[in-house]
Amino acid sequence: MVGSNKAPSPPRWLLAELTYSCPLQCPYCSNPLDYANFKDELSTEDWKRVLKQSREMGAVQLGFSGGEPLVRKDLVELVDYSHELGYYTNLITSGYNMDEAKIIELKKAGLDHIQISLQASSKELNDFIAGTESFEHKKVVAKLIKKHGYPMVLCVVLHRENIHQMKDILEMAIELGADFVELANTQYYGWAHHNRDQLLPTQEQLKEAEAIANEYQASQKGSMKIYYVVPDFFEGRPKACMNGWGTTFLTIAPDGLALPCHSARQLPNFDCPNVKDYSIGEIWNESKAFNYFRGDDWMQEPCRSCPEKDKDFGGCHCQAFLLTGDATNTDPVCDLSPQHHLVTDAINQAAATSSEKPLVFRNSKNSKAF
Amino acid sequence: MSIQTDSAIQISPAYRLQWEEAQNMFVLLYPEGLIELNQSSAEILQVCDGNNSPADIVTVLEKKFDTSGLENDITNFLNTALDNGWIKQST
Repeated sequence: MVGSNKAPSPPRWLLAELTYSCPLQCPYCSNPLDYANFKDELSTEDWKRVLKQSREMGAVQLGFSGGEPLVRKDLVELVDYSHELGYYTNLITSGYNMDEAKIIELKKAGLDHIQISLQASSKELNDFIAGTESFEHKKVVAKLIKKHGYPMVLCVVLHRENIHQMKDILEMAIELGADFVELANTQYYGWAHHNRDQLLPTQEQLKEAEAIANEYQASQKGSMKIYYVVPDFFEGRPKACMNGWGTTFLTIAPDGLALPCHSARQLPNFDCPNVKDYSIGEIWNESKAFNYFRGDDWMQEPCRSCPEKDKDFGGCHCQAFLLTGDATNTDPVCDLSPQHHLVTDAINQAAATSSEKPLVFRNSKNSKAF
Repeated sequence: MSIQTDSAIQISPAYRLQWEEAQNMFVLLYPEGLIELNQSSAEILQVCDGNNSPADIVTVLEKKFDTSGLENDITNFLNTALDNGWIKQST
């Protein structure tokens, strides 16, 4: 076993990725590039066992995600079961295929909150990025979510193509009655990593967008809470990824793989355990994958002697792997990393990329090519 | 916006106060987030039931813990809670 010997804190957050199926084709999707290879989804009974065991361990926040979780026929049954167990249940959806009857059914089952995503503030751009005509329907669904008394988070992933719409996006959020807005700068994993040259915004775009976000944060105080997720490529210090590896978050992928972070499937030699083989207790407390980055024994320099190591835990290991080939390296977004040039090179390379270069959309045909 | 001493306080509709056995503490749950509460914060939020005003809350808690002088701490916490949107006050 690698890592510290202290008993780990219990999981608080369970992300249930019910399926990789999705009617949308967003080119920044965080699902694995080769998602089409994972066809065997957990059964309803498997999910119930995972939900029960995780709840007993201490998980209390539960996100139903995907792919598009509405694709799963047993979603209402799983929400109902989770509500009984005492979870705070979040549905993270594109809104596609949602209708009023389903919103009512989910409410009756005890669903606490719905996060709906929009891809842009205009129909043309939204439908282009989503790869699917969905804009008008999403807006109808957002209004129905509020009509039925749910708290609603409106999530918009930001990138070079839509970040200039910041003001319109926020006005749209007000019009739709969002309680929370998540303005999430793209994180470069999965499909976003593949499309990075076309998605990374410029420093100027970011500066402008952030100023608008700050302005609305002040003017909407008390009625709509605005979260602006900073783009770590431009920050100089890494994010405290997953609030510390194996301390808080547990992701279960559609095929039952248990992941300390939803990108961890790609890390080589991690032997991430599957819930079909092990209990959540065994996975959380004893598995190699969940213990790997606990504590700081794994750290190399410059993290090891860094006074900020308890603040950001060395940053994101998946990003370190994607950019440097070694997950135990310092996250190169840190400007103390000897490999920080990989990040500045990426920014420069993206800025020099012609707008003619096509995005690779997330769909089964493209996935099978990886 | 700061707290009024005489109007009733309730937990905001998007938030839920809940006892967590595994962690042996109260938590405040909301869309995609949770706040782990220390004992005094939990005591205050438990009596934010839509009937009690801040003045009532001081009375209730001073009686419960057989003490006095809690007003400042309670008011400070309620102001923080209001600022964060955890509680709402009827107007």
